[in-house]
Amino acid sequence: MASNVIRPNRVDESSPAKRLPADGAPRRTVVIRPPSFSPFAIFGNLANLWQYFDLLLTLTAHRIKVRYKQSALGLAWAVVQPLALMLIYTVIFSYIARMPSDGAPYAVFAYTALLPWTTFATALGNATNGIVSHAGLVTKVYFPREILPLSYILSALADFAIAAVVLAGLLFYYRIPLTLNILYAAPIILTMMIFVLAVALFLSVLQVRFRDIGVGLPLLIQIWMFATPVIYPLSTVMGSAKIPAALKFLYSLNPMVGIVENFRRVVLHGTPPDFASLTLAVGVSLVLLPISYMYFKQTEATMADVI
Amino acid sequence: MIDLEFNHVSKQYRVRADEPTADNAANPWRRKLQRLRRRSEEFWAVRDVSFQVRRGEALGIIGHNGAGKSTVLKLLSSITAPTSGEIKINGRLSALIEVGSGFHPELTGRENVFLSGSILGMRRREIATKLDSIVEFAGVRQFIDTPVKRYSSGMYVRLGFAIAAHLDPDILLLDEVLAVGDAAFQTKCFERIKELRQSGTTIVFISHDLNAVERLCNRVLLMHRGQIAAGGNPVEVINHYGEITRQKDVEQAEKQPTAEVEDADVVITGCEMYGEDGTPRRDFEFGEAPRIKIDLYARRRIPFPLINFGIKRTDGVIACNFNNWYDNFKIDYLEGHCTLEGWLPPLRVVPHSYEIHALVWQRRGEYELGDLTGMQPLAAEVFGSFTMHGPSITDDGGVFQEPAREWVLTVNGQRIEHRDISADSLHKAYNMESSLVIY
Repeated sequence: MASNVIRPNRVDESSPAKRLPADGAPRRTVVIRPPSFSPFAIFGNLANLWQYFDLLLTLTAHRIKVRYKQSALGLAWAVVQPLALMLIYTVIFSYIARMPSDGAPYAVFAYTALLPWTTFATALGNATNGIVSHAGLVTKVYFPREILPLSYILSALADFAIAAVVLAGLLFYYRIPLTLNILYAAPIILTMMIFVLAVALFLSVLQVRFRDIGVGLPLLIQIWMFATPVIYPLSTVMGSAKIPAALKFLYSLNPMVGIVENFRRVVLHGTPPDFASLTLAVGVSLVLLPISYMYFKQTEATMADVI
Repeated sequence: MIDLEFNHVSKQYRVRADEPTADNAANPWRRKLQRLRRRSEEFWAVRDVSFQVRRGEALGIIGHNGAGKSTVLKLLSSITAPTSGEIKINGRLSALIEVGSGFHPELTGRENVFLSGSILGMRRREIATKLDSIVEFAGVRQFIDTPVKRYSSGMYVRLGFAIAAHLDPDILLLDEVLAVGDAAFQTKCFERIKELRQSGTTIVFISHDLNAVERLCNRVLLMHRGQIAAGGNPVEVINHYGEITRQKDVEQAEKQPTAEVEDADVVITGCEMYGEDGTPRRDFEFGEAPRIKIDLYARRRIPFPLINFGIKRTDGVIACNFNNWYDNFKIDYLEGHCTLEGWLPPLRVVPHSYEIHALVWQRRGEYELGDLTGMQPLAAEVFGSFTMHGPSITDDGGVFQEPAREWVLTVNGQRIEHRDISADSLHKAYNMESSLVIY
């Protein structure tokens, strides 16, 4: 060890040398105070998030890499899940029971909805657990915590892209013509991302306090799927005489209804989206996101204490 | 220029009081409901703490477990927010709290450098330019494209530290991270931190390793029960800390009944140190000659005992031993109550805290020590510690320090002699001034 060398004293304390390089730039002064609620804090939070944009990209890339490392099927797993569900539902609802599918072959009808739905379910499930599964990091290093759920949601988008290739194959196989309306799919998916982010931010901090969320989430997602026109067409609900109007209204408040149904319309049926339900989905998502984000940031200040 | 400022900062934690009472023990559901209502106890981890750190300073924070050191660090690094008060941070701050934070076993070394680096706050481009240097520092070039799960734990830790060592912050927070790797790597880390310090990085170092704190820091805060108990010159604060620790030890020792020594052959009942004036002391000036007294009780007759008085620096270095065998003092036997007194030479061990160890061994025969290796001493006790005060030579300067007898320098045939070296020359050389502030 270097302490064998005779050095008469510890580090010289008389000459705190001036730092020469890069000191021309003014330093950023940060003041930390006890958490207090302010609706304008959101701008500061967003600026801070931007500072860590590199981390978000790195973490997202890392999620995608890790998920498929040391798995034989690799990226194909992104396809297997919606494809398997499609096969199961096709057997059940097309051969065993008769489920209307708005005239399209049931397999592609189901897959078109399963594609956004599984993306939503995967993103929500992973993102909700995102903070708790990184407890070790959260208690040791600071970075804006929303990066954890965000990175899971962005990596789910990569799954979506891969699974979308299979959809293209199915559409080609069933000779379903595409129209320019398919371009609406982009804003629809964007809406879904905003919505899932809003829900995941809220649930992920709730999960920090109550692990019940993580346990109950798969059940919630299951029920949620049946409350969304994934395996059945929206028309069967809206056209049903048995369902009371109040319940139909409640049903239509679910943003995933507008998202999944409209995704199917623009991709499978080639018709323009139903703007009423789409606007509702966009509206709900855009209102929820800032509220959820503010709640998230409010809780973030003491997250490390309770995790 | 103030880089860090704590302004009356307090941090309160809530500890859930979840004791089953007669009322709710029978009904777990009621207990759960009560828990939801947050019947919690308040606990102040940090209470009304104020301090400042100037640019380029290296501040050490020491204290017992639970004194609030780590909470201060968490507050500084924004991991948790204060309950009241205000913290000002001027510049880019990086916290190096645990090495290898954010490593993923499946990813390769290279991928993990990018991942961990960005978690610690580096930009991708910055990491890319430093990658070579990081790999070099960690010494894992050969394995950089191997998943880190195949790394040895040493490699893992080295890579983790190498990343952190390449952070280029204005303010660096350190927490026990120096205790990684082998001695050579530790030295490398230490040098790197010194380098950062010399380039003007402000450092806050939180550690139990008093030795490292003393070597690295120019100012030390002692925390006790969430508050600052003392602050100032490292040697003095660390010595003050030693005194507090000793008081605590004494209190604990008094509480503990001596039950387990019942059937031992020899019991060391006491060991005390005295100043030259004969008063019991635990503080000595550099160069003072203490007297020691060891009290023993031998339940049976112990022939040819070896009685040892040893001092061990609190960083683990055994400084010196005094015993009857070294000094050829034959003791035929011990029996019943015995007392051994010794007059030590002037002690010139470097100023630090030293543990007091008293041991009794049994020798095999009158004229031979016998083989002590693998043999247990009959009795071994630690009797707290004492503090050597004096010029602030640290362990960097060696284990002991004595003035030379004389010096002669010859320059081109011309002799310069220096003979009158006084015993306190060291004091004069260092011109010590006290800066210890007790709060």
